[in-house]
Amino acid sequence: MAEILKNRQLQLVVMALSFLMVFLPYFLNIPALNTASTKLITITAIVTAFTVALAVIAQFRRGMNIINRRSRGWYFKVYMLVTLVLMLLFSLMGRESGPYHWVMYSVVNPLSSVNYGILAFYMASTCARAFRARNTKAMLLLLSGFIVLLYQAPLTGAFFPGIEPVALYLGDTFGFAAGRMFLISVTVGAIVFGVRVIMGNEPSVLGLGGEE
Amino acid sequence: MADESGGIMKLMAEYDRRYVYLILFLVVTIPLLSPIGMPISVSPDTRQYYGILQQVQPGDKVFFTLNTEFSGYNEIQSGIIATMRVLVEKNARICFGVAHVEATSIPELILKAVHDELEAKDYQYGRDYVILGYVMPNEAAVAAMAQDFQGSVTQDWLGRPIAGTFLDEIDDWQDWDLIADFTTGIQTTSLLNHFALRGTPMIVNCIGVMIPSQKPYVDTGVYLAILQSMRGGAELELLIGHPGPGLTAMDAFTFGHYMLILFIIIGNVGYLGYTRNAQRRAG
Amino acid sequence: MADILFSIPGIINGRILGFILNITIAALVYYYISTKKQVYIRRVPGLDAIEEAVGRSAEMGKPVVCSFGIGGLTYWTLAGLRILSHVARLSAKTGSRLIVPTGGGDQSLIVRPVAEEIVRTAYILEGAEDQYNPDDLPFLSGQQYAYVGGYIGIMQRTRPGSVIMTGSHASDAMNIAETSNAVGAITITSGSYISNVAALACASDYILIGEEAPAAGAYLSEDPAQRASIRVQDLFKWLAIAMVVIGIAANSIGNDLILRLLST
Repeated sequence: MAEILKNRQLQLVVMALSFLMVFLPYFLNIPALNTASTKLITITAIVTAFTVALAVIAQFRRGMNIINRRSRGWYFKVYMLVTLVLMLLFSLMGRESGPYHWVMYSVVNPLSSVNYGILAFYMASTCARAFRARNTKAMLLLLSGFIVLLYQAPLTGAFFPGIEPVALYLGDTFGFAAGRMFLISVTVGAIVFGVRVIMGNEPSVLGLGGEE
Repeated sequence: MADESGGIMKLMAEYDRRYVYLILFLVVTIPLLSPIGMPISVSPDTRQYYGILQQVQPGDKVFFTLNTEFSGYNEIQSGIIATMRVLVEKNARICFGVAHVEATSIPELILKAVHDELEAKDYQYGRDYVILGYVMPNEAAVAAMAQDFQGSVTQDWLGRPIAGTFLDEIDDWQDWDLIADFTTGIQTTSLLNHFALRGTPMIVNCIGVMIPSQKPYVDTGVYLAILQSMRGGAELELLIGHPGPGLTAMDAFTFGHYMLILFIIIGNVGYLGYTRNAQRRAG
Repeated sequence: MADILFSIPGIINGRILGFILNITIAALVYYYISTKKQVYIRRVPGLDAIEEAVGRSAEMGKPVVCSFGIGGLTYWTLAGLRILSHVARLSAKTGSRLIVPTGGGDQSLIVRPVAEEIVRTAYILEGAEDQYNPDDLPFLSGQQYAYVGGYIGIMQRTRPGSVIMTGSHASDAMNIAETSNAVGAITITSGSYISNVAALACASDYILIGEEAPAAGAYLSEDPAQRASIRVQDLFKWLAIAMVVIGIAANSIGNDLILRLLST
């Protein structure tokens, strides 16, 4: 049975059928296919949710392996596994209040916020370091950056409303043109990648790797 | 040998980045602790967003999606709370869904912030609002909700059945009157693909760096409106006449931007006065 | 949305053009792959920067840090893995230590074994299997910010000569790029999200913007399938450019042909 399931051709056929079951109902109005597609998507959502459980198990196994071997930093793995088990227990004790609630609000949320807040300092030092008028192109970039930065400061728009149309023009033309370009490139790239996966030309996606 | 001391120009070209961190910290913290109340302008995008919210009718079913970690919530909370105030004022029926584990604690904060409005309008859990919790972990879950809501979601975030709530009226993407998405980019593309592109009205409040990637969808009519980051939230607070965390932060926002501009000017003066000459002298 | 230009029975109106384009893309990819022709792709300039960076690290006796993103097995991650393979071979050839921080996302546990295999294979192919150290591919965390903390710690402690950050990164990209600059490393990044590109362009010494990373990966791998993909993408970009130009011209004279075609 395991050998049958590992068969690459079978995997590709299942993948192709699943793809067609989701792809075709979007474009073709076939009620029976709509129902099947909905069921398949719901099943996928449930199966994908189980990957969270798999990830926890994988982390446990890996962590225990590192602790047993006393590899570099093994004590951090002890800490990780202990906190993982504690949070699991806390969540079973209730999420509206109690220790789970306390850990989320006192530990997880502030830590997450701090990491995000640090970005502001990095952005500031990057701006201060990188915006140099080295040549004409850099000068133009600097000028555009100035105008947009000035406009982004709310006070400027209140006292100098004339800056708004210039800043919006720069953003709506040059800025969003780049965004649209990216959207087109990424979308086509994703479709092409999907076709390659279904054709079996990306073995690493199927876990068959090692073909570098 | 050329004089390499450089003086003030060298200092302006090669200052330690830690001075930038320190000054930015002071420039942002002091106005936050002691707000000045400087005026702000309101952008056309925020007016458009406000206009869409004003069109919400009593009883409209709004899917309030929190596609953000808690860190992103700090940036867009002003827009989230202001939008919630307007929706409650309009007697909309609101369903909270989150796309990240950290965001499971956010609906509680939102409800606490608008507690007075909820009391005044006699909002009841189940009849007027439901918290689904972490129901959007991946695109498959979003797609399932779009195509068969009753089949994919049966319980709220505390495990209580949603049967008997206003969500009984939701079968698929067509039954939502509005999706209000507050995002740092987690499942927004999924909502776009499975809801907005099919025709579900959708508005977005995103973080600043996402604006170039999301604005094209507003221009093409896929999104009805976009609220841009913390500043958009502050502008919305101004429009609804209810100051909050956004307006409080705008002084710091302004000073932070001006500080950045100042450092760019200082760096360029130093570059032109010292670095470029040093490079020329070096050959 | 404008009126549609034409309809095809059986296909939902408003989605006809999308259906036709999808089928055309699939057909073109199949055609190019089945011909097994080695499609020409120009060398991406970023590869020179990568080789220079690894060489500089070798001269200075410092390690190279290379990551492939925090996503699952996506388009960008696979491009990052191909570049990782190239960097691993260069490191093995020059005798530089290669550190590959892994993690950062829910799906990163799935990608890690692939990365391990890629690096190990690269060292074997260069005859330097004894240099391969699995501890140099630490799994930092499945959470983005915890991953960033570990990544920054690695850079602060090891003081690499170069940091090559490809694949898909979110807000962690800025942290990593700026810290890399602070420790004096050559920083080469790839911007897979438009949100990141501007910031990374300022913070990095060299950036591979958008499709340059997958193109670099396709160039390095010499796999006909990957090169075929890049060719098909290029064809569709030309098509998009043509539609934009014709659309602007048509719209300017009051003709809504392209608009109606796009609404079909």
